[in-house]
Amino acid sequence: MNVAVCVKHAVDEGELRFDPAGRPLIEGAAGKMGAFDKNAVEAALRVRSEVGGEVVGVTVGGADARKSLKEALAMGADRGVHVLDEPHLLNPSRTSALLAASLREAGQFDLVLCAEGSSDTYSGLVPPMVAERLGYAYVGYARKLGVTASEVRAERSLEESIESVASPLPAVISVVSEANEPRYPTLIQIMQASKKPVAEVRAQDLLSAGGTHSVTIGSMFAHSTDRKRIFLEGTTDEAAAKLVDALRKEGVISV
Amino acid sequence: MTGDVWSFSENAAVASEVALAAEGLAPAVQGGPVVVEVGRARDGVRGGGERLVLQGCPQDGPAEALAECISRAAKSLGPAIILVGATREGREVAARLAVKLDVGCLPEASRISSDGKTVSAERSVYAGRVSATLTSPLPCVVTVRPGSFAKSTGATGTVRNYDAGTPEVRVRRLGSSRRETGSVDLKSAKVIVSAGRGVKRKEDLPMLEGLASEMKGALGCSRPLSSDLGWLSEEHHIGLTGVVVKPDLYLAVGISGQLQHIAGMKDSKVVAAVNTDRDAPIFQASDYGIVGDLYQVVPALRKALSARH
Amino acid sequence: MQLFSSEHQSMLKSFRPSDYPEHMEVLSSLGSFMESELLPRSSRFDSGQESIAPYRRRLMEHGICAIPFPREHGGLGLPFLIYASAIELLGAADASTALSVEIHNAVAEGIMRFGSDEQRSGLLPLLLSGKKLASFALTEPASGSDARTVRTLAERSGKGFTLNGSKTFITNAGEADLYMVFARTGRGPSCFIVEASSPGVSVGTPMLKLGMRGSRTAEVSFRDCEVPMENLVGAEGEGIDYATAILHGARIVVAALNVGIARLAYDGVMRYSKTRTAFEKPISEFQLVREKIADMKTGINAGRLLYYYASCLKENGQDYSSEAAQAKVFATEMSLRVCDSAIQLYGGYGYTTEDLHRPWRDARLLTIGEGTSEILRLLIASRELARAS
Repeated sequence: MNVAVCVKHAVDEGELRFDPAGRPLIEGAAGKMGAFDKNAVEAALRVRSEVGGEVVGVTVGGADARKSLKEALAMGADRGVHVLDEPHLLNPSRTSALLAASLREAGQFDLVLCAEGSSDTYSGLVPPMVAERLGYAYVGYARKLGVTASEVRAERSLEESIESVASPLPAVISVVSEANEPRYPTLIQIMQASKKPVAEVRAQDLLSAGGTHSVTIGSMFAHSTDRKRIFLEGTTDEAAAKLVDALRKEGVISV
Repeated sequence: MTGDVWSFSENAAVASEVALAAEGLAPAVQGGPVVVEVGRARDGVRGGGERLVLQGCPQDGPAEALAECISRAAKSLGPAIILVGATREGREVAARLAVKLDVGCLPEASRISSDGKTVSAERSVYAGRVSATLTSPLPCVVTVRPGSFAKSTGATGTVRNYDAGTPEVRVRRLGSSRRETGSVDLKSAKVIVSAGRGVKRKEDLPMLEGLASEMKGALGCSRPLSSDLGWLSEEHHIGLTGVVVKPDLYLAVGISGQLQHIAGMKDSKVVAAVNTDRDAPIFQASDYGIVGDLYQVVPALRKALSARH
Repeated sequence: MQLFSSEHQSMLKSFRPSDYPEHMEVLSSLGSFMESELLPRSSRFDSGQESIAPYRRRLMEHGICAIPFPREHGGLGLPFLIYASAIELLGAADASTALSVEIHNAVAEGIMRFGSDEQRSGLLPLLLSGKKLASFALTEPASGSDARTVRTLAERSGKGFTLNGSKTFITNAGEADLYMVFARTGRGPSCFIVEASSPGVSVGTPMLKLGMRGSRTAEVSFRDCEVPMENLVGAEGEGIDYATAILHGARIVVAALNVGIARLAYDGVMRYSKTRTAFEKPISEFQLVREKIADMKTGINAGRLLYYYASCLKENGQDYSSEAAQAKVFATEMSLRVCDSAIQLYGGYGYTTEDLHRPWRDARLLTIGEGTSEILRLLIASRELARAS
């Protein structure tokens, strides 16, 4: 079975810094593989260990994105595809168009695995867009997967229900983070990952494959989290009484 | 460009919220708000303006079919903006629609405006640390973050039927089981007591439920308790990947305060936290903090609440 | 807390610019493993609610021990500096685990440097992958800093030696699969590998300690314990030279470990001093608090640079005994001061909260263990006087 897994080199939201005006310093911000993408890689590796085949890691992004691709290779993906693009141009339409075009070039895939969303923007649009562009079936938010040669069965985790579905192949699947516990690559795997093949493709060479729409980012500002940050000290009973008092004064509890 | 503003959600409650967003946006594009329904108009969906009922597609059709039917109607009727509730199903509908119609897509909007040529949407990114405004030319698809708009109270105008045909569906539903649901409606709760990993056993949750009900509030939780441990259903899960809430009081108990969690409660009016770790990030996002063991602090809070003041 | 901080990264880059990307990946991976698996459990390890054993095992399987060893022995062939940096991260994540791993790896280094081909090929792959845990048994109840007076006896018998005697303050005692034991034969102190399962090996009850409570410390006794000839490491009578050489390397690592402990305390203080208010302003606004912060930070960076330098000398095959001792003396005493200042800044909470005084309790061991500050100062002075002559 040929499995592709899409990973995003996302801004590490915990490390994000701001200028004095409250604008986030996106350029040069530390990046990391999206937290949920690791679950997608893990799911791909488990499919391979059940039914055999190859796992190809695919990423779209700047030169930095190679780090996340290497992490997928260290976890166990066999080879990688890096679509080089200017990160600031990316939006779900463009990313999905580039992913779909690069997947068409990289081989015939039975399964394309993605995370439910990236940890930086969490829009959840790229996986179904890729499915739509490739004309593949799509199963979103899978928490359990069972793959045979012709079909994939999945349990979907929706807001109000758990849904069991069967989908023909090829299919794009997005997995939720409770689907599995991603493995940690060992240090030797990390070092060996540098030797695995990575094909580099330039976005402009793929773009004729699908038009995209310009979504522009108008402004970005730090969400103000101005909190009082008052610690209520004393014995447990004293602290509890102080809190109840404070909440009554704020008028947020009516008891 | 001019045109109508369509709104759609397969979830009736969310559909009424998205309808309100459409009502607000319609004048800017010199069109009317249109509530899009599939199969039949649902009673629970409120929204001013036209009701467009797509015939042919099963009402609970999978997102794949919903997207195809809506795109067929959109291709012939030419709306300026299509708003879709950003539920798990809705995101698939919106994504497919944007590709089928070959238009831009703005995700997870909490505020939307238009100047008649473009549409701008405000959303939160980087786990809620940043608020961003994105702009796309018209026509455009926008996914609307549930809980961002109030429910429309508008009266239904004319009902128009449109035969969208019966699209092909590849993914078969084998079964569906409803998640265990209580009567939680975190979005409308004024007070939320939220439980995190500091709670050691499922059997201890009633203690927190008790505190919540004494404060006339509801119980929520952070991701581990619902998604990993399964102690509470997913609708209790507050955070980036769960429900976004903004109560008057958010009391985080035994929650460390990962960014993904903060993203779901940062707009609360007052935040209080109880945690054993003074360095826990939740205290940075709180107005009031008590450093202590929740197994002592929660009973003390209940005692303090019942004391005469 | 980000264990592999950007500051750490840029210091590393300034020391080894060409190999930087690969080293960076190895350390970031270890850092994130420790952040999610060890750091959140360190207070449970300290209070005895959870054992470090399964996490130490996973860390070893991950490859931390293999870092500085040659590839032919199952190592990663990376510089010693990277290994020492990894132990700094581990010192911050959980000092007890760091101590246990550091001792284990010191034994592995001893086997690599002084063992036979059979010992190397038989033991190193098991030790470097964490399949076996090792322990270093030199100190005796009546023989500490004066290691030459070792009293445990190894008498020639049938096919090897018979050991009789006791070792004390032994880290990993009772958990280790093998002990590197120093015992006196007719030719003087000698070095042996003793399987924990050998008849005649007994382990005392774990000692109650001030700190490093996640690691196990106990007495290990040998009573008519038969050790085959092939378990003699190197030459008879050379044991103390081997122990000394092993400890020189270990001191660099202990310095790194203490820099890690200091960073943990410092990190907490940075967060606390900005949020704790007194007289209606954050305590970080007070000059005397700022003095403490400045001294803490300077000490941490100085400690790191000293162990970096000693690591580089070791890699280059130069004499590093004085520099390793300097790094250890400075870093251990520095981390005690940093952790003490942290308690002072936390005030009553610092004195009464296990998690806040744990770094101080952990750091307190290492001005004593693996060469006291006093002995090491003698070593530094005599080495420097000899160099100057």
